[in-house]
Amino acid sequence: MADVTTTQQAQVPLTGVVGERLRALGDAVVAVERCDERRGMARIDPDRVVEVARKMFAMPGTRLATCTGLDVRDGVDVLYHWAVEPEGLVITLKALAAGPELEIDSIANELPAANWIEREMHDLLGANFRNHPDMRRLILDDSWPEGVYPLRKSFDQVADRPPPPPVPPAPEEDLP
Amino acid sequence: MALVNWALRKSLWVYHVNTGACNNCDIELLDLLTPRFDIERFGMMLVGSPRHADVLAVTGVCTRQAQPRLQEVYRQTPKPCIVMAVGSCAGAQGIFTEAYHMGVGVDNAIRAVDASAIIAYVPGCPPKPEAMIACAVKAMELIKTL
Amino acid sequence: MHVMGTIGIYVVAAVGTLALGLLAKWYDRKVTAMVQYRKGPPVYQPLADVLKLFCKETLMPSTARGTGFLIAPAVGLASAGLVAAILWAALVRPGVSSFPADLIVVIYLLLIPPIATILGASASGNPHASLGASREMKLILSYELPFLLALLVGVIHAAGAGGVWSLSLGGLAEAQAEAGSTLYSVSGVLAMISAVLAVQAKLGQVPFDQAEAECEIMSGVYVEYSGTPLALILMTRAMLLAVMPLLLILALWGGLGGGLPGALAFAGKYLLLVTLVTLIRNTNPRLRIDQTMKFFWLGLTPAAVLAVVLAVIGRTWTITWL
Repeated sequence: MADVTTTQQAQVPLTGVVGERLRALGDAVVAVERCDERRGMARIDPDRVVEVARKMFAMPGTRLATCTGLDVRDGVDVLYHWAVEPEGLVITLKALAAGPELEIDSIANELPAANWIEREMHDLLGANFRNHPDMRRLILDDSWPEGVYPLRKSFDQVADRPPPPPVPPAPEEDLP
Repeated sequence: MALVNWALRKSLWVYHVNTGACNNCDIELLDLLTPRFDIERFGMMLVGSPRHADVLAVTGVCTRQAQPRLQEVYRQTPKPCIVMAVGSCAGAQGIFTEAYHMGVGVDNAIRAVDASAIIAYVPGCPPKPEAMIACAVKAMELIKTL
Repeated sequence: MHVMGTIGIYVVAAVGTLALGLLAKWYDRKVTAMVQYRKGPPVYQPLADVLKLFCKETLMPSTARGTGFLIAPAVGLASAGLVAAILWAALVRPGVSSFPADLIVVIYLLLIPPIATILGASASGNPHASLGASREMKLILSYELPFLLALLVGVIHAAGAGGVWSLSLGGLAEAQAEAGSTLYSVSGVLAMISAVLAVQAKLGQVPFDQAEAECEIMSGVYVEYSGTPLALILMTRAMLLAVMPLLLILALWGGLGGGLPGALAFAGKYLLLVTLVTLIRNTNPRLRIDQTMKFFWLGLTPAAVLAVVLAVIGRTWTITWL
């Protein structure tokens, strides 16, 4: 594992800004998958997500573009996409929320931008974020049952659909 | 009640409901008010409240979230009223029939509230304004027979 | 018999003004269509609108207070009809039918439709309606003063000509018949400008229609009305559109002159005022309520006060063109 990291980091190209940023994260980076001129992808330790987020946010010109979730065999892979503005780089950091509890620390306390993104991931994929300040339902409707996660690969879009929402109750009295 | 029929035919007020559309049909609906098609010469006006409306122009597939709200809006439209399902999405949910967040569809949602609702379909993605005017004319012919 | 005669006059004037109002509404929509390069609706369109609304069912929201909600449009309509009766009587027979201080009665009666709107909107229990009602209250506070000052200029000019202060519309019409219209003087022009803009706000037309803002607050004050109450509201607005230019012509533009030339001139002036209201409506966006208040209090009220001052100076030192 250590050889792979140093070999890939030794291949940092001329601009090297991406490699520099990844190097600044230290040993929280478990593996580096890609380190091009403008794109970086690395896997980080899921227990140190908050610390990495804090460090990335403190770097100059960096902002959290978005987070995505992937339903993989071992759990839910949470990807954090960081954009570095003046140079136009995107660095993607991946953290695995391992199953079956799918728990990972929430970064919403440090970055309010991630608040709704984590709520959406919880609604659609079932990823549980520890210490999230406001974990409510975001985009599924009110009649959707708890515990059914539609974007999981095990969910059939037609066969597993819950029953449709009920008709709202009629008013008691009508005007003549 | 020939006078009632005449008045209803000559002055249809339209309220636009978007139940999860991509806005293409909404733009075409707005085209009807421009000088090229000008439905105001038929007496049709876009109004701001469902309680003033005679025609509910519904665009979009009826998503699960929009479904109870569409049913409430239909209840708040004074009868007699016509529901115009604009576009393939409002007619039969278009290409989105197999998605997880679909409701029962615009026509089934409205018939769950009122089994004798008048629903007019305008197919197209998006339908041309001429098609919408043809649908409005057919609706007026139907009102003549009421 | 006297009572029956009075009621007869009221009914004839109200129905006639309703017909005239629906025609004026059609004219307004047709001019709007011409300005926008379209063909407009046919001449029977406003009549079809009102008839259709009578035939729809009336829905009442569960949060509404029924009595106030349903009575408010009827009260507005009745007072609009009464104003129409007083004004037509004063126009046609200024000596006979115009009683002293009927100008003040008309001003009071013209306040009732907006207040009925506010009461009906507050009774409907809808947050959009209460927003529209608060905007209507602010509008009334803004446009009433310039309107009254403009009418005051007419009164001052009439007093200057004949020497007698009279607050009756017949007196104003007769004084202008002797000494020429109030409009043909500097203070008259300023007064007419303030009056026309105040009328624009009173009729609820763009740029001052924040109370009934379609698609901004979903028809604001009228959001919960449907069926017959909505038909009554439309009829009230049509009658106000027919009646306001009439008041302006009586107070500031000479009333009805004698014979056929006088009648033709009156028709031309009336049409010009309705066209002015329509064109202002078509060429302006809707203002915000704070912009409207600033416009009325910091722009129009000083202009109206200036007009009053000039009129008083003109009367005291007999300078007729002031």
